[in-house]
Amino acid sequence: MSKIKLNIDGKEIVAPQGQTILQVAGDNGIEIPTMCQDDRISRTTSCFICVVKDTKSGQWLPACSAQAQDGMEIETKTPEVNDMRKTVLELLLSEHTGDCEAPCTISCPAHARVEEYVRAGRDGELLKALKIAKERIPLPMSIGRVCPRFCEKDCRRNVLDNAGVAINDFKRLSADLYYEDYMENRKDLTGEKVAIIGSGPGGLAAAYFLRLEGVSSTIFEKMPEPGGMLRYGIPEYRLPKNILDKELAHFEKMGGIEIVCNKELGGELDLNQLKKEYDAVIIAVGSWQSSGMRTEGEELAAGGINWLEDLARNGWQGEDPGETIVVGGGNTAMDCVRSALRLTKKPVHCMYRRTEKEMPAEQIEIDEAREEGANFNFLTQPIKLRREDDKLVLECLRMELGEPDASGRRRPVPVEGSEFEVKADTVIAAIGQSTLAPEGINTNKWGDVEVGEKDCRVTENIFAAGDCVSGPATVVEAVAGGRRAAIGILAYLKGEECLFPYKINVSRGHWQSLSSEDLTFLFEPGEKGRVKQRLIDLDERVNTFNEVSYTFTEDEIAEEGKRCIECSCTAKKDCNLKDCSESYHADPEKFLGEKGHAGYNSQHPHIIMDNGKCIKCGVCVKICSEVVNEYLLGFKNRGFETKVETAFDRPLPEYCTECGKCVEACPVGALDWKKKED
Amino acid sequence: MIKRVKVGMASCGIAAGAGEVLELLKEITDEDKVVEVGCIGHCYAEPLVEIETDSGNYMYEKVQPEKEMLEQMLSLADSSRFQPNPKRIDKEELLITSLAGKIEPTSLEEYRANEGYEGLEKAKRMGKDKIIEEVKTSKLRGRGGGGFPTGIKWSFLASKDNENKVLICNADEGDPGAFMDRTLMESLPHQVLEGMLIGALATDAYKLFIYCRAEYPLAVRNLNIAIQQAVEVGLNIIGGKPVEIKVKEGAGAFVCGEETALIHSLEGKRGTPRYRPPYPTDHGFLGYPTAINNVETFANIPLIIREGGDSFEKTGTDNSKGTKLFALAGDLNYSGLVEVPMGITIGEVVYDIGGAEPGSVKAVQIGGPSGGCITAEYFDTPIDYDSLTSLGAMMGSGGLIVVGTNRCMVETARYFLEFTTRESCGKCTFCRIGTKRMVENLERITGGEGTPEDINVLKDLGKKIKQGSLCGLGQTAPNPVLSTLNYFYNEYLAHVEEGYCAAMECKALVDVFINKEECIECKQCIKNCPVDCISEGYVIDNNLCTRCNSCIEVCPKDAITRVAKGGVVRVENQT
Repeated sequence: MSKIKLNIDGKEIVAPQGQTILQVAGDNGIEIPTMCQDDRISRTTSCFICVVKDTKSGQWLPACSAQAQDGMEIETKTPEVNDMRKTVLELLLSEHTGDCEAPCTISCPAHARVEEYVRAGRDGELLKALKIAKERIPLPMSIGRVCPRFCEKDCRRNVLDNAGVAINDFKRLSADLYYEDYMENRKDLTGEKVAIIGSGPGGLAAAYFLRLEGVSSTIFEKMPEPGGMLRYGIPEYRLPKNILDKELAHFEKMGGIEIVCNKELGGELDLNQLKKEYDAVIIAVGSWQSSGMRTEGEELAAGGINWLEDLARNGWQGEDPGETIVVGGGNTAMDCVRSALRLTKKPVHCMYRRTEKEMPAEQIEIDEAREEGANFNFLTQPIKLRREDDKLVLECLRMELGEPDASGRRRPVPVEGSEFEVKADTVIAAIGQSTLAPEGINTNKWGDVEVGEKDCRVTENIFAAGDCVSGPATVVEAVAGGRRAAIGILAYLKGEECLFPYKINVSRGHWQSLSSEDLTFLFEPGEKGRVKQRLIDLDERVNTFNEVSYTFTEDEIAEEGKRCIECSCTAKKDCNLKDCSESYHADPEKFLGEKGHAGYNSQHPHIIMDNGKCIKCGVCVKICSEVVNEYLLGFKNRGFETKVETAFDRPLPEYCTECGKCVEACPVGALDWKKKED
Repeated sequence: MIKRVKVGMASCGIAAGAGEVLELLKEITDEDKVVEVGCIGHCYAEPLVEIETDSGNYMYEKVQPEKEMLEQMLSLADSSRFQPNPKRIDKEELLITSLAGKIEPTSLEEYRANEGYEGLEKAKRMGKDKIIEEVKTSKLRGRGGGGFPTGIKWSFLASKDNENKVLICNADEGDPGAFMDRTLMESLPHQVLEGMLIGALATDAYKLFIYCRAEYPLAVRNLNIAIQQAVEVGLNIIGGKPVEIKVKEGAGAFVCGEETALIHSLEGKRGTPRYRPPYPTDHGFLGYPTAINNVETFANIPLIIREGGDSFEKTGTDNSKGTKLFALAGDLNYSGLVEVPMGITIGEVVYDIGGAEPGSVKAVQIGGPSGGCITAEYFDTPIDYDSLTSLGAMMGSGGLIVVGTNRCMVETARYFLEFTTRESCGKCTFCRIGTKRMVENLERITGGEGTPEDINVLKDLGKKIKQGSLCGLGQTAPNPVLSTLNYFYNEYLAHVEEGYCAAMECKALVDVFINKEECIECKQCIKNCPVDCISEGYVIDNNLCTRCNSCIEVCPKDAITRVAKGGVVRVENQT
């Protein structure tokens, strides 16, 4: 056979005549991506991701189909070629409809594999559910109780019946049942040691993820007992401390994590000393400074978080606060209101300067506080606090809502001449909290610790995580921050740059903009509404600090699991389009426009055909006709309207032998098995 | 003494009412003398009737099916005699359409009486090598748009040692506004057939197809009649063997004019192109060696063989020989089909032949929807393959659309790109999605929502679609956009930066305004407004107005005009 000589990426190559550029390059160790090429079928030449440039002729060639010719000078990796491929991918992504990852996972700050642990829970595999949750959430018992459930708010199930799947309860049940039975695989200790200042969720998570990789840590805690905000900020009735103790015991069991209490930075601990004694230091001191009311006499009010802290130190046995006014509308304010309700028979008021709609607190907290007897005074702003005999007198103004402010919420403005006074025994200002950063540490304009965006590094070998970086936030966010700091440290210890790979996620959009026709259902979604959370008696609620809600039963979880529609892509682990898009840094939002054909065919018992994901490469059509010899699939329409259809629109089951060759060959999730593998 | 009354019954004539004229003529005069002929190319004057008499031929234009008018015409009255534009007569050179509209298309006798099939007879005497030599000497290039030398293509096919060689006539004329091939097939089917049979002789191809779009029923009918007539008298017997000729009707996909897509369609497959090489001469219809030539290319062959390649080669420029048919359309006075020598300037075609007013023309779109636009300042460019390509346009198959100064070039580009986008086969990514995104982008610009970034995206994406598409359709689809971006960049900029469409064509960027000083309050506008948006005080509510132009068209005083968006403020100020 005659030979030809050509040059690919500067490499002189001798190749047999009659081969494609793709084959010649592949034989010579030069990888060219392709999505529509398959040796078993005739060429489809459709995706054009394999495009290369022949600088000799100036032509762009699809490497899968163009024959290598004598004298060619092929470029496969120049910025120009990469840009061309990026555009191909961005065009394909611009009509690609689906959810690479389910919105629950995307909106979870820790990006836990939610759909997977919900499915395990539904199938009764609760230990497996726990294992999956713990990949990202090392405090499943606590978070299973206190999480504001970002995932459920974005859950696609909302499209059907306006109620997300009760996701958090899967974590809670699986952890309640199996937490002590599961010990994760940990790498052998490397001898590297990290000092962590603060044993709240941020510090604990950092210690956990470092330990999994063999790095040991010592957690220093200024309070008498560990847990940070979990112990001293969150009331007992939401998170019982015996549960927290159980959870914390596990960290010590992992071996290599030591928690030392009553050690405070600036006291016995010296940052300069620590950074020398340890390979790295993590600052995770939280956000503990109550903001004042910024009014005359504000010192007469207790700070919300400090009031809770005192209560916690007292084992939730505080004195009767008498008639109480809590100023503020956030979750801490609700914690104060509901704790006060448990301590007194006198009225407890929540005073907030906007309306209920603008309250940052979780709706369920507001509802439960109201059930427990809280009074709400909206559109009320305190302007002065003074003591009169044994009472506190709060001078207030009525407000009305004006134009929206930077946060998008309507700004409250005072109503002229609306001054009035109220009396109370206790006034608690739960306006907000701020970070008190350790001395010598750089802070941003909010007073939070300034860290590197990717590696969470403050300076040298000092890192930071949790509320002290983000400002007051949630437990799950602190856990996510702790993990990021751990990743930053692991890279630092290896002497590597901390690089997060470029990731894309194609999304159908927020559920509020969707109807059920916009979704793909692998199977009939369960029709039942969300399982109702069972609570202890109201009487018990207002008189004790006993945990308010019950953990779901296994039956309830199995039932609730059927409500999940498993909206993530069936091909999320092996999608050629996603892989290529990520390696070429393609932006799914680059070209916005009509999406083309959505719609799917789920008539086959085991195979789903999802047109919205199809890239029209035609591989399935040719596999079925040229390899399987069945001709069950074909193209329909032309141009942008092109779609793959079953022959004569007949459902696949009638005659498909389920050989699965089309499914295996599909570069994306347009043809796939319905049953997902975890 | 009237010998024959010839009625132009090609599609253009029929559309203008020639059918009724024909029927009535048969009633009022000797039916045997009334005959159907093809098209002479002067579409603006249809229906056309030519009366052959002993003393000469007389032609009548815009003939109506009215007895009185026809009787007057039959008396050879002077009144409605057709006076063709003298400049056109001067500039045209009728080499291949000289018989169009003059003879009965389906009369083998009449074609033969006019040197028909003499080329074939001569070719049979010459033998295949000499035929190809002669075609090479003529320097005839493919008239479908590609411009590949026909002689060389035939020599490739002739060199193949295969019993099943195939020769295809590409009659899938899909460009909007182009009807060169239709006219040839309707008016001169035997001439096309003769060219094909000479090609079969030259290449040893015994299987011939004419792939014609089904939207051309008259062409299909006339071709089938011609084939039947030729077969009956044995014209298809070559070297003692019969040549099989079939007309295959296409379903009207533009991309099936691309040769590999055409072959797929002919094979009964989905009409999508494939990567070349292998070229059809190596791997064509059902894998057999196949050559594909355009209708107009074949129509040139009998003349070349009859008169000799040397003689043919004398017309045209160095690299483009012979004549070219153009379908003239758009903003000009004399639309129609013209045959001009290669090398004639664009200006001569537009102004002299088309009768467009100098100053009223902004550009021509040449080469069909995927050609490019050429501005009036380049109108002294000679029409030949290479000059047009160097200006960013292309010869294409011969569509020539004149764009008047009253047109918005962004909208014009959008119109053409929308066509190619709709006609994309959907196979390759750049063409399938890229053209769609460009159209959406242009819609944003004409809709007043474009940004300067949209223009950058158009440039970048347009370039990549040209480079990265599989077939000619995608490779040329962005041309209207890229060439207007090149020559009319300021129009794009005005749309995105000022929301201003100078041509007042983009509906989202204009208001409609009644000039009270001109208005005579005749109520015509109010009565004709389909959405009742004109008040009794003659003020247009531009929020309701759909910019349908009804009021502008009916206003007897031309008092209503489109004005730049915001003109509504001026209206309010005046009332």
